[in-house]
Amino acid sequence: MKRLVRISLLLACVASAASAFAAAFVALDRKSARMLTDEATHAVPTIVALWSTDCPHCKKNLGLFADMVKADAGLRLITVAVEPLSAEVATSLDRIKVLGVRYVYGADAPEAIAFALDPKWCGELPRTLFFDGHGNRIAISGAVDRASTRKSLGLADKR
Amino acid sequence: MTHLRTLGAAVALAIVLSSLPEPASAADPKDKATMAGMTGMGKKVRVELASSAAFTKDGQLLAVAKQGDHLLLYRSSDQGANWSPPVIINARPEAISGDGENRPKITFAQDGAVLVSWTKPLGKPNTGEVRLARSNDGGARFSAPITVHRDRQEITHRFETMVVGGDGRIYLAWIDKRDLESAKAAKNPYRGGAIYASVSDDGGRSFKPETKVADHSCECCRIAAAVDTDGAPLILWRHVFEPNERDHALAKLRADGTPVGVERATFDRWKVDGCPHHGPALAVAPDGTRHAVWFNLKDGEGRAFYGRLVAGGVEGQRFVGGEQAARADIAIAGQRIGILWKEFDGERTQLHAEISEDGGVSFKRLALGAANGASDHPRAISFGKDLFAYWRTEFEGMRVFRLP
Repeated sequence: MKRLVRISLLLACVASAASAFAAAFVALDRKSARMLTDEATHAVPTIVALWSTDCPHCKKNLGLFADMVKADAGLRLITVAVEPLSAEVATSLDRIKVLGVRYVYGADAPEAIAFALDPKWCGELPRTLFFDGHGNRIAISGAVDRASTRKSLGLADKR
Repeated sequence: MTHLRTLGAAVALAIVLSSLPEPASAADPKDKATMAGMTGMGKKVRVELASSAAFTKDGQLLAVAKQGDHLLLYRSSDQGANWSPPVIINARPEAISGDGENRPKITFAQDGAVLVSWTKPLGKPNTGEVRLARSNDGGARFSAPITVHRDRQEITHRFETMVVGGDGRIYLAWIDKRDLESAKAAKNPYRGGAIYASVSDDGGRSFKPETKVADHSCECCRIAAAVDTDGAPLILWRHVFEPNERDHALAKLRADGTPVGVERATFDRWKVDGCPHHGPALAVAPDGTRHAVWFNLKDGEGRAFYGRLVAGGVEGQRFVGGEQAARADIAIAGQRIGILWKEFDGERTQLHAEISEDGGVSFKRLALGAANGASDHPRAISFGKDLFAYWRTEFEGMRVFRLP
């Protein structure tokens, strides 16, 4: 019982923390980046979108993902700006009306954060990590469309 | 089981949130409003380490790097062991691009004048002007910077490269989006940006109206430049070949900046609608062989490559370094070819080199050093018969390694 209470407390804490961060930014270091992209932490289909302010194709992807998440409550979107926070990072996401937890690069070495996010990634953008919620992930570089996004999330046959 | 997974995710998120560093301090006043009230921020702001270095004829090493809205010139008389206090290049502060792909550049006019070029970002995102300042007294004082191009729209004129031809003319080439903007206005499709060039025949004091080198360049990769054996400038850039192959193109420029021809230089056929943000490097050997290093995704794998560019193909193409090898650069000193790259090993960024004494047939490999924090791309430079690596890193500063 004690354990249950502790878990409930923890969950309540997480829920309030998550809502407090919904429109704010969270800075990544290599440890938190590794956890963020650990397949085991994603129990529902989740898109982790790596993007930057100077990447036009990233914004196309973000717009698509934002639309898809709005239309499907079972889908989660996490954005990671691969640069430190600036006014432009915030306005870019606001302009595209991107919901979900917003991450930016923190004080750790950028190459260490990048490696922790995706050791196969060489910095090209957009880079998107698709988690199907069942322990699998697929990484894709470049612009994607709705059909390939659904397929990468393991949702293609559920439509 | 699903509950367990959810709980796992929740716990992980709680740990992520609780492990985040302290609130940030903003570097730019305009960012302060945005960052105020945001919690959980790391203290980091953008680290702009991008720097270039070159040897004068008498062996002084000059380096340029930005600090805030100023470009600074540093001098070393002992190949980088010690550096002088800096000289401010632009007396009037202005925005300066300082990331690895869009670094300030330094070279020397035939009369010995120090030339420094950079991109000045403008108000709108991804816009900029190409700037150049000249020093007649070896870098003690600089003229007020000039904007190299006549087109003054608030659009992309960025990622410039600078090279001095055998004829003493100064050539600047950059990524320019005037054609993309016109196409957009007319609602016509247009792939990528364009390469434009401008030429100075008075040692960088003034530039002639710019000319187009090629349509359809990629949008945010550095441009490589080298001087061919006939003294003409060669430029190598990431191009968007139809429909969306992000390979490289090579052009030799005439004295007016127009291209003799534009050739496809690499054939990896990386089809992507995206931004590699990872440009090539080029060096020409005394026998005219064009040695290049570049990054591409080939057969599903993103790798750094070395190869010799020949008409219609690449000779001796191979990987440079391991899976994490990135930001390769190349330089030639006499018969020696030096390749540099950096490679993250899971903990730190390692700087590696390869040296060839036989025209690129064989290379010996060596480890040069490591960085714990952020680092600029390594720059391969030469002086006489010697090759050097110049590498600016967050915690160690401006470092120079002589390649044995």
